[in-house]
Parts: sequence; C-alpha cells; structure tokens
Amino acid sequence: MAATGNEAIWDGTPIASDPIAGVLERARAFGARIAEVATSSEESELLELVLAQARRFASREINSEKIDAEGVIPDGVIDAARHIGLFGLTIPEAYGGVGFSMKAACRVIDEVARVDRSTAIMLGLHAGLGSRPIVELGSAAAKDRFLPGFARGDIIAAFAATEPEAGSDLGAVRTTGTVVGDAMELTGEKCYVTNARWAGCFTVLARTPGYGGNRAHSLVAIPRDTPGVSVGPEEKKLGIKGSSTASLLLDNARVPLDLVLGEKGRGMQQAYQTLAWGRTLMAAGCLGTAKGALDATIAHVTTRRQFGQPIGDFAASRAHVTDMASRLFAMESLVRWVGEANSSGQTIEDVSIAAKVFCSESAFEICDRAVQLHGAMGFLEPFGVARMLRDSRITRIFEGANDVLLVRAGTELFARHADVSAAGSLADQVASGLQPVARGWDQVRARLAEALDQGRSAFGLKVVRHQLLLQRLARAAINLRAAAAAIARATADQSGDVWLAERAAATLLAEADGQIERARAADDDEAVAVKVSDRLYGKEGPK
Amino acid sequence: MNAQSDSMRERIIALTAKVLKTDPKSIRGQDRFREDLGMDSLASLELLSCISDEMDLDFELDEAMQMQTVDDAAAYVTRKLADKK
Repeated sequence: MAATGNEAIWDGTPIASDPIAGVLERARAFGARIAEVATSSEESELLELVLAQARRFASREINSEKIDAEGVIPDGVIDAARHIGLFGLTIPEAYGGVGFSMKAACRVIDEVARVDRSTAIMLGLHAGLGSRPIVELGSAAAKDRFLPGFARGDIIAAFAATEPEAGSDLGAVRTTGTVVGDAMELTGEKCYVTNARWAGCFTVLARTPGYGGNRAHSLVAIPRDTPGVSVGPEEKKLGIKGSSTASLLLDNARVPLDLVLGEKGRGMQQAYQTLAWGRTLMAAGCLGTAKGALDATIAHVTTRRQFGQPIGDFAASRAHVTDMASRLFAMESLVRWVGEANSSGQTIEDVSIAAKVFCSESAFEICDRAVQLHGAMGFLEPFGVARMLRDSRITRIFEGANDVLLVRAGTELFARHADVSAAGSLADQVASGLQPVARGWDQVRARLAEALDQGRSAFGLKVVRHQLLLQRLARAAINLRAAAAAIARATADQSGDVWLAERAAATLLAEADGQIERARAADDDEAVAVKVSDRLYGKEGPK
Repeated sequence: MNAQSDSMRERIIALTAKVLKTDPKSIRGQDRFREDLGMDSLASLELLSCISDEMDLDFELDEAMQMQTVDDAAAYVTRKLADKK
C-alpha cells in the first residue's frame, strides 16, 4: 500500500466533527467571501439561470402530492430534469455537465427540495454520493464510460455502502472484491440503496483484501448490466416515497480493474470524503424542505382567520414563525459556510457533519411547527406539511445517524480541546448591532472549553465511553458553529437580516448553554439509563 | 525490532484482533487503524482504551491521537510501561 504521509488518527480528515477549531478564522473567511463573490463570479451568473430553470421545472412539472401518493417519481419528471440539465450539475464541463461547485449545487437542490423532497433526493444523490467518486477518483476509462451519461441523465448514479450488518459501522462491511486476472469479482449484499430503481451505475464500498491491509476497502463502480448484479424490490417508506430505495445483490459481479476507483485499498477514507459531499447536499435539501414548510405556513396563517383575525396576527403564531425563520437563516448560513469552505480547499468533513446534524434536526422542527400552525389541517395530507414532516424524518438517520455522528463529533471535540480554549473573541469582529450576541457566543465558547477540560481531567482517553457527555457537548459545539455562521453572514452581507441572525444566534446559544449544563449530569443520567434499560430488557432489575 | 518489541506487537495485535473480531494473523504491525483496519477515530480510540485497560495503563488523550498504526501503539505502550517501573 502506498504511504500516505504522516497521518495520525486525527489528521484533520476524520469523520468525527465539529471542533470549534479555527472557527473564528473561518468565520472571517466565510464573511469575506460572501461579501466578495456573492454576485460577481461567472458561476453565479450561470447559477441564476439554472435556478430560474429549476424553479420553473419544480412548479410546472412536479406534483409532490401525487409523487407521494403513487410512490414514484414519474418518468416525465425525470425527463424534464434531464432536459434542463439537472443531472449534470456537478459533472465537469469537459464531460458535458454544468461543472458547478458544491455551493452552487446546494442552491439548486435547495430550490427543488422546496417543492418536492423525493425529486431533490434523487438529483442530490446523483450529484453527490453517486457521481463524486467517479469525478474525483475515477480512471480515465471510468470517467469516459460514465460521466457523459451522468451529465445527460441517461445514466443515473447510486452509492452503495450500507449492508444489513454494516450501517453506521462501515468498518463491518462484508461485500468482498477479489482480483481475478484483469478483473475484480464482487459478491455481497447492500441495502437501502437510494436511486436503485433507476441507477445505471452503482459505486460500491467493498472489502478488497488483495489490496494491502487485511481490512483494506475499495470503491468500485459497477454497471447495472453486469452479470451477477440484481436489484431487490422497492422498500415501503414513511416518507420520501417517490425516491427509490432497494437492496443491491452482487453475485460474482465481474468488472474490469479500471473501475476500481482511486487508490486501491483506501476506499474507506475515500468513502468518508464522498460522504461529506452527500451530507452537505442533504443539508441543502433539508434547507429547501424547511423553506417549503415556512412558505406553506405563511400562506396559511395570513389567510386562515379565527376569533376575527388572521391566526398569524396572534403573538403565539408570530413567535412560531419567527423561530422558524431565524432557524432557517442559521441553516442556510451553515450550508453556505460548508460550500465556501469546500471552494477554498478546506477540509469539510467536520463542518459537513455539523450541517447535516443541525439541518436535519432543524428541518424536522420547522416542519413540526408548520403542522402545528396548520391546526387539524396540518394533519391532513392535501395541505402538504404532513408530507414535509414525513419526508424530513429520514434525514436524522441516513448518511450517518445523528446519534452516532454526535458521539464521533464529541470525540473529535475532546481531541481538539486546545483549539476551543484558544479561540479568540467573536465580539471583536462583528457589526455593532451584533456585538451583544457575539459576546454571548464568546461566553458559551469559554464554558464549552471549561467543560472539555473537566471531562478530559476526569476521564482521559476513556472519555470516548461517555456517550451522553460526548453528544451533549457536540450539540453545544454544533450550535456554536451555526450561530457563528449566522453572525458572520449578517456582518458580511449587510442585507438587513441582522435581526434574524441575532435571534437565531441567541436561541442557539441558549440551547448550547443548556447542553453544556446537561453535560455535567451526563454520567448520572447514564447510570440511571443503564438501570432502567436493564430492567426493561429483562436483565437484572434495579437494586 | 527486538524480541521484547516483537512480543509487545503480538500482544497489541491480539487485542486488536479481539476488538475487531478478526484473525490475529491478518493484522500486521504497520497496519493503520483507519485506512487498513477500517476504523474511524472513535473506534480507534475505543481500541486504545481497551489496550490501556488490558495493560493497566493510563493513556493521555493527546498522545493517543498521534498513533496511527499498531506499531505506534506497541511503541507507546512499551514506553509507558518503562516509565511506570
């Protein structure tokens, strides 16, 4: 196996996430880039055109209620998406695609998700997890074979990593690739494969013991028409019903070695890089769904009258709507932050996980508030918000269950505790109107640093076994990052959204403070949870 | 590598195999926790925690973060045991 340099366990690219490492510096860079390139680049001009087309496509071609009821995206919708180039968003221009950056692709997925999440997931998966491994790692032969088809949408891409016994624990993957002559033969079973119904190419994560280490993995592109490849029946789901989810069976599926992607045997690390793209596009989809929920809510509360006035005029409704809008502002700021970080060549694994966790949870909360503000109508399918709530639920699970990501993020946080302690003052760098909330940010950051020091002193390396502590501090750190993104954006773009940023940050900081406080009780809570759950599981009862 | 370090490597490999539920013969000293053994940062640290339990040693979090291979862990444990004497 090729040497890869001096990589420690934490080399800056682990899947664990969200230290506050360099957050201030990044906030400055993020703000500067927003101010500088917001509307100036060539990509931005093209983006505006594509966004206009995507809006037309979404409003004219997509009937989200029908897609949900019938459980499939109609061929006509897919053809229309092909026609306007939506399958080529992130495929390089040299292969006939649009060649968008992550941040531009996120804007388009956001726009489609605002109308229909199933369609956004089909397109987002194709643009991210499905095609990125070949764009970034593929041989010339693999690129020539797939990318023009990806760009046109003639070949739809899928990514298959999860297995029945390997969900969040990708290290447990059992699908195996064996080199036989000038080909690789793959055998195994993948499950929950998005886009399986339409996919012409599956990028599969497989153990490849022949390449280096005994547990070496590789990413392999497998054409659907390869003998030995079969796709299982469609899964019945709670939400995103129009999207396709099925298993993939490989029975000695034989592909040429030039379809083994990237450095042979380093598929696990490469899968993590790809997952960062997937998570970010998914966070953008969450943003779109949340916008759709807010759109529907505003339309409803300004027209629905009770007690002689629109329900939106009641203070309680206004508070709901304000919370929804301010959280949306933070979500959008964080997604833009990841896009900017990726464009400037930074490692995005940590912040993409923060965006995934924050946006998936926030979107669900916003959809839940939308249902509440619709009253009984919100519970009925024709009004749409029930569907949005169902569609949002999966995002807290797939592409890394949030519970697991938070434990990993907490581990990372402890690993980079020194960066949290050393962070400077945000209050010194923001617009005057935002200084009070930025001072609050500084205080919460200091409390987080203190909590990390305490956890480190108390547990040392074994802190990794204190999952509740890790999760709670990780949540606090993610909220700090989202608040910093909102504050930095409002400072930079001077768009009059200062009040939204202020409100978002204040709420997020209060929540972060609560998580830090709860972290102090994490061990007591864990002890109680063990006693109670043992009893519920039929193990030894409480003493 | 001398006999003592070979022996420590074997012990670390045995513990690693136990945690990974795999055959010790399939693990080599130069295997990297992440790329070769398919472990993420959390799983790597969990493994090191198991090693510290078995060896009755306290690992420093910051130092544990620097280890990337089975041999790194063996060298670290050897050093810590020597310090302990």
